[in-house]
Amino acid sequence: MISDPLTVITIVPLAVSLALLILPKISGSAEGLARASRAISMGVALAMLAITTMIFFGEIGNVDWTDYNSGYSLTNDAFALIPSIGVQWKVGADALSFPMIWLTTLLIPISMLVEWDAKKGHLFHPLILMMEGALIGVFVSLDMFVFYAFWELTLVPMFFLIMVWGGDDRKYASMKFFIYTFTASVIMLIGILVMYFYTPDVASSGTITGHTFDMSVMIASSDYIPSEGLRHLVWLLLLIGFATKMPSVPVHTWLPDAHVQAPTAGSMLLAGVMLKMGAYGFLRIAVSAFPNSTVAFIPLLIFLGMASLVYGAWVCMGQTNLKRMVAYSSVSHMGLIFLGIATMQPLGIAGALFMMFAHGIISPLLFAVAGAFKHHYHTLEIGSMRGIAHHSPWLAAHMMLGWMASLGLPLLAGFVAEVTILIAFWMSFGWLVLLPTLTLIITAVYYLTSMQKTIFESNDPHQGILPDTLHGEEPRDISWHENSGMFILGALTILFGILPFLFWDMMSEWSSGFLIETLVEAMQSEGVKP
Amino acid sequence: MMPELILILGLIAIVLVPNLGDAKFRLPLTSIRVPVLLGGSRFDMTNDPRMPNRISNLTFSLALLSSLLLISESPREVGGILMVDGFSRLFSTMFLGALLLVSIATTHRLPAKTNAQVPKESDSENVFDRKISILMDNRRQVDFYILLIMVGLGMTMMTMATNLFMLIVCIELASLSTYVLVAFHKEDATGGEAGAKYFIVGSVASAIGIYGMSLLYLWSGSLDLDILRQNWLSMDGVDPFAAFGIGMMLVAFGFKVSAAPFHLAAPDAYSGAASPVSGLLATASKAMGFLALFRVLVMITVPEGSEAIWMITLSIFAIVTMTWGNLAALTSVNPKRILAYSSVAHAGYMLAAIAVVGSGISGTDQSSIILTAVSFHLFVLVLFKLGAFLVLALLETEGKGHEIEHLHGLGRRDPLIAGSMFLFVLSLAGVPPLSGFLSKLLMINGIVSTSASTGSSSSADVISWAESVDPLFWLAAAIVLNSALSLFYYLRIGLVMFFEEPSTEKPLKAAPSLRMAIFACALLTVLCGVGPVSEWLLDMVSTAIGSFMYQ
Repeated sequence: MISDPLTVITIVPLAVSLALLILPKISGSAEGLARASRAISMGVALAMLAITTMIFFGEIGNVDWTDYNSGYSLTNDAFALIPSIGVQWKVGADALSFPMIWLTTLLIPISMLVEWDAKKGHLFHPLILMMEGALIGVFVSLDMFVFYAFWELTLVPMFFLIMVWGGDDRKYASMKFFIYTFTASVIMLIGILVMYFYTPDVASSGTITGHTFDMSVMIASSDYIPSEGLRHLVWLLLLIGFATKMPSVPVHTWLPDAHVQAPTAGSMLLAGVMLKMGAYGFLRIAVSAFPNSTVAFIPLLIFLGMASLVYGAWVCMGQTNLKRMVAYSSVSHMGLIFLGIATMQPLGIAGALFMMFAHGIISPLLFAVAGAFKHHYHTLEIGSMRGIAHHSPWLAAHMMLGWMASLGLPLLAGFVAEVTILIAFWMSFGWLVLLPTLTLIITAVYYLTSMQKTIFESNDPHQGILPDTLHGEEPRDISWHENSGMFILGALTILFGILPFLFWDMMSEWSSGFLIETLVEAMQSEGVKP
Repeated sequence: MMPELILILGLIAIVLVPNLGDAKFRLPLTSIRVPVLLGGSRFDMTNDPRMPNRISNLTFSLALLSSLLLISESPREVGGILMVDGFSRLFSTMFLGALLLVSIATTHRLPAKTNAQVPKESDSENVFDRKISILMDNRRQVDFYILLIMVGLGMTMMTMATNLFMLIVCIELASLSTYVLVAFHKEDATGGEAGAKYFIVGSVASAIGIYGMSLLYLWSGSLDLDILRQNWLSMDGVDPFAAFGIGMMLVAFGFKVSAAPFHLAAPDAYSGAASPVSGLLATASKAMGFLALFRVLVMITVPEGSEAIWMITLSIFAIVTMTWGNLAALTSVNPKRILAYSSVAHAGYMLAAIAVVGSGISGTDQSSIILTAVSFHLFVLVLFKLGAFLVLALLETEGKGHEIEHLHGLGRRDPLIAGSMFLFVLSLAGVPPLSGFLSKLLMINGIVSTSASTGSSSSADVISWAESVDPLFWLAAAIVLNSALSLFYYLRIGLVMFFEEPSTEKPLKAAPSLRMAIFACALLTVLCGVGPVSEWLLDMVSTAIGSFMYQ
């Protein structure tokens, strides 16, 4: 178990962060530890990034990303945690989860870097490290109980990040965040428990309940759930849990508040990885276990996706707050993921996967930019200043790159995802593709107008307009650590725009396999053309 | 019988030792002093106010240890009315563990006299000495721990009783001592009121139970549980004597487990008593009631393969109890009352599980899983329910703990204590991976696996499936819905601890032994939810239940 890299990248960050948080409290002479905790956290985060990168290049473990059925790659022997109810420590990764794992290990050091000088750093950085362990735990665990425990655990550090380091209205935002997502995940838990109670009774398994939380067994045995109606109900319960995390209209309202109040690193992780947990769980559990229900509810998925897409984009146009605008654009992009899944095409599902990944580098860039803007100009109002290109050329450059990537400029990462989803949508639903396509124009409109207002437009070419909140201070450009963090994200945006096949190959192979293994039969029985 | 002997020795020690060196022997629990014409004034050591606590800690630890070591002892009958087996040892381990925690936790709790004052610099030498001697007087502590050991003795004896009369006598021994413990803190006006109320309602309930027992005697001619069971199974139809007898005993035990509608005194008693004592009532005393229900309901009156007469009644009681408890807890502002009502709700969950055992459609395997789940729940409840009360006890050392405002900002004043409290309430709510989730999952699993297989598998939609499933399934649904409801008040405790401004920044009292007890509870709450410790405990419980089922 110790030698398993996936276990290491889950447990080490959690253990180190707990040690960093608790040790200084217990031992009186640990002030040195408190001071070093920022560096230790960063070191651990970088080590984790090195491990996942090595896994990606095949240096560790024999990697086969696509073998969905005969066990996820890297799976090793399960270690029983609570044998009496069938809970075990079983981890693995495939093309659905690995990009997310790598993204997590990438974003954690970057978000630490961007907020390198955070207040109360001896608590801030360990909390981010705890976030890393919890997020990776969600993506790697192949046991539903452990999955759920990590799913809930992600709330804790994020809650404290918003609560302690957030903006003026942080109390309201963090409460809303917690209550919304916690309620949703309790609803999801009910669905999971129903699935659990219908796993086949394995007498030799050593459980006293006769059931198991093993994810692949639970997914495979969903047919034991007695009636079609109950299966649909469980699917809907799961959907509520996952859609709230994603978030999709109409359960998205926690997101803008949480984002606006969260510290920069919190927003980056929230948008970059936490939202993807919803899409990941939906594909991994709800779709895999209940393909028939998924196919039967395609219209609902399309409705949710379209509603998120259109509503998010429409609301963006009216926003004057930079972070709020980026938050709603996230809602809008998450809608595309539902649309991609609803196409039931390998291309569409692969596009959804790539969307998860691409949005995971672009939106942290946007939030890093927004955070730096807030930090140096003390405001988030879009119209309050003009011509930052003059004062902060680096910030302006990053801002532009991020916005361009988000609106789907070719050769940037977002474009690949959008265009594949739209092609798949056209293959499935024909001319209806005009609906999402036209919505993307709205996206372009709000980004371009904000860009025009903020970066370039200036009444005086030498000066620009500075916001009142600066109180006559000289505007500065961003500091070295913000700049380097954004630089890495920007470079990756370009890299994956030009060379999408780095992850695209495994994603498309995975999604064709997934479609053949899981969905085709359901589509035939429901009479949907594959 | 080792643990009981240790308790008796401890009792003798705690009566005798504080009198050593004195020319007068004080009768325990009174101020009557009998001259023994030997010695003078007490030694410093026997006069030490911490001494009774030490004796009691030692007694309970030794008893707990011997009970644990003897847990796999082969069944042995003692005198025809007691039976020592794994099942009784399991419960006595639980009771002794709870009592040990209470005993450790009360180290810092008792002022020597109700009017004890700290001596001041300005006092004359005479007054100063007198105040010191009052402070150093340990008579009151002696009384407290005598009562606590009596509770222990009653509880451990009742686990072994195979005779209804013995069962009731032991329960009364434990209960009468708890009545006094509830009212022990005379300096607090609410203590006396709580004690009186608890005593009156409790003794009425006991009287009804004893009356029920006499009806059973009239019907069967013997109070031996085995004979009662044989008579019950061979009974033609339902004999009214027997039915009334069982019903009346249900009232008495319903009071002990604080099931609605017999729970009304419980919140007052819990909120009036000192927190460790409330914790004792909510865990060990409740477990005692459930053990009695196991003995009387499950052992005597569950026929094989058909429905027990009390099944419907108990199911209704269970649903009313859990819903009432949760709704009342939602509207309470006193944390002790919140915990008291949550304890009522938990009684409801467990009653629901027991009701399924009596449904007649659960096989032996399923019944033993359910009883394992209930016993396991009672066991881990000692950790997190008592732990939560101990946190309130820590607040009580500064005269607080009876208003939710006193929890405000605890997270800032003492993060570790607040963290432990949060862990306790999460476990009470049943959030995975804590032990509260494991036990609740096992209970729900027992109910669902008994009932859900009855649902028709051909029904196309949820509604027709729901109509076809056995009504017992709705007990599981009620538990799930109630757990969701209970999250609101449990989380509110977490909220106010971390996000309200504290009224004072002063750190909490050090109270090392109380803290130790709290941290031990918190650690075990986690360990009993995941990993080898939980496995070991669960194994132990299910073996014990096995020996109970095949008696």
